[in-house]
Amino acid sequence: MAKKKSLISAEELQNAYVDYVLTQGQMPKSVYVFAKENGMSEEEFYTHFGSFEGIEQSIWTDLCQKALTEVENQEIWSQYSSREKALAFFYALIELLKSKRSFVLYSLKQSGPKIGSPSVLKGVKTIFESFATGIINQGLEQGELADRKFFTSKYKDALWMQFGFILNFWAKDSSAGFEKTDEAIEKGVNVTFDLFEKSALDSILDYGKFMMNNGGMKQNMKF
Amino acid sequence: MKEQDSIPTSKTQRSAKFVKTGFKVGGNYIKHYSKKLFNPELSKDELNLDNATDIYTSLSELKGSALKVAQMLSMDKNILPKAYVDQFSLSQYNAPPLSGPLIVRTFTKYFGKTPSQIFDEFNIKSTNAASIGQVHQAVLNGKKLAVKIQYPGVGDSISSDLKMVKPFAFRLLGMSQKELEVYMSEVEDRLLEETDYDLEIKRSIEFSEACKNIPNLVFPTYFPDLSSKRIITMEWLDGMHMKEFLKTNPTQEIRNQVGQALWDFYNFQQHELRAVHADPHPGNFLITPDGKLGVIDFGCIKEMPSDFYNPFFSLTSTDMLQDKAKTIVAFRELEMIRADDNASQIEFFYQVYKEMIELFAQPYMSKTFNFSEKGYFDKLYNYGERIAKMPEFKQARGVKHFIYVNRTNFGLYNMLNELGATVKTDTWKPHVNLAS
Repeated sequence: MAKKKSLISAEELQNAYVDYVLTQGQMPKSVYVFAKENGMSEEEFYTHFGSFEGIEQSIWTDLCQKALTEVENQEIWSQYSSREKALAFFYALIELLKSKRSFVLYSLKQSGPKIGSPSVLKGVKTIFESFATGIINQGLEQGELADRKFFTSKYKDALWMQFGFILNFWAKDSSAGFEKTDEAIEKGVNVTFDLFEKSALDSILDYGKFMMNNGGMKQNMKF
Repeated sequence: MKEQDSIPTSKTQRSAKFVKTGFKVGGNYIKHYSKKLFNPELSKDELNLDNATDIYTSLSELKGSALKVAQMLSMDKNILPKAYVDQFSLSQYNAPPLSGPLIVRTFTKYFGKTPSQIFDEFNIKSTNAASIGQVHQAVLNGKKLAVKIQYPGVGDSISSDLKMVKPFAFRLLGMSQKELEVYMSEVEDRLLEETDYDLEIKRSIEFSEACKNIPNLVFPTYFPDLSSKRIITMEWLDGMHMKEFLKTNPTQEIRNQVGQALWDFYNFQQHELRAVHADPHPGNFLITPDGKLGVIDFGCIKEMPSDFYNPFFSLTSTDMLQDKAKTIVAFRELEMIRADDNASQIEFFYQVYKEMIELFAQPYMSKTFNFSEKGYFDKLYNYGERIAKMPEFKQARGVKHFIYVNRTNFGLYNMLNELGATVKTDTWKPHVNLAS
């Protein structure tokens, strides 16, 4: 409904912003200054984004969405177990992040060491959690993962923690081709999914419960 | 079978694996001796089997060089009790595979494309484990291909792996650390070469080209542009591994044909190329439906320098052994007799090694040799067992080249024995000065 068609696209605006922060090392002073430098009105800026943080969030969500689209379009995707889907997503994400490493490092550093997830990852968290819920449900339905009272709803949070861990590991990784990050993904995701799977612990709990309920049997079985 | 999704790569993780195995092996001993209390008749076979199973389980989870060492240990049937051998033979093929996404990841990393974008068909489940990698079947332009993919981080962990295999090797082989040190660096070098797929594909092409005229020998075509540091693509060869082949009760004629191809392949390399495919375990060969021998792995190549080749083959293929003085000179060159040995030691090692060379050279002494002859192998094993018990051999002897040359030759003889083949042994002769 805009009267004048925007001359600059959202993507161009993202790129201009990335270029600015990476060359200047900081956010532009104001939306006014930034818009002027890119030959547009402040109003035009707001048709795309509400703030600079909004731009950063959108870059992150775009990357995350792109990684998802990429893996979901792989022919093999439908054959993957939920564990494999998680692995595939992280590999694809790390590969995409490589092209924007400088920005990613800048953005993570800017948001600082906060408790919980940095606000720039807000959008990413929403996307990731819906993805995680999807694969967890698949795993539960197919019996790959254990359905545990109270805990099942926390599975997605564990995967989100994994996300943060991998991201931080990669940010600090200095190995050639980030091979160490590959290993971190493989190991980390496997540990997480091993915990989600049915294990001896479930059997022990189940057995314990049985003995509690049928404790009286013990006396009867003595001869 | 549950897929194994990661190699324990960090040193502590791997150590933990070995420690676990150590406990288990210890436990097996306790189990054995407590059973023995009640049943003095109990043989050690069961104990050995328990140990071998646990060690194998641990090694196959480790992959990489540890599995390679398991393969090497399994080559020397004369050193290891039978139960160890049976379990370690398992490690020669079919170790548990790695996860699908990591395979896709490896492809996108090196080619920028997923396997299904490159090939018309790609089977994400591996058909075989190749100890430091795994093999997948693929189809491109109607051609069936074998794609070998290496596990990430293998090269890095080899050295630390060997350090941990050492104590095991000491216990299994009854050797001390100092003796083994000499050979471990040689093994490490070869293993590191094996992780270099760029080198492997280069050698595969060179060797298959050089050996192409040997009858009844086939090599897959290699595709360098579909290969990289971690991936090798080659033509898929249809065929059976030796154990399966033997189950089909092949005729003596076919056995001989396969055996002859094997013999020619090795002797051609030793004497014409002076570099040899040093990994003659059955997993590296296929027998095609028309009775030809397919060679599918050139990861391990041992080059033989002249200062080894000349004294060694002069001993085996001239009448040098009749001349004691000359023989001792050759033994000194090969460090089988050392500068600091005294007169009685020289005499002792001269006798023992002379017997070894005679045994080794026996197939060359006549125009044809029947490798199914049990007597010959009993002599070889008996010799090996006697040597293993001699206190003089608690110390390492011989130049480092022996480790791979012996492995190659014993591997070759063992395979020919399993095939039960009779072969013409004068097809490719050593190039040494025959006039002595």
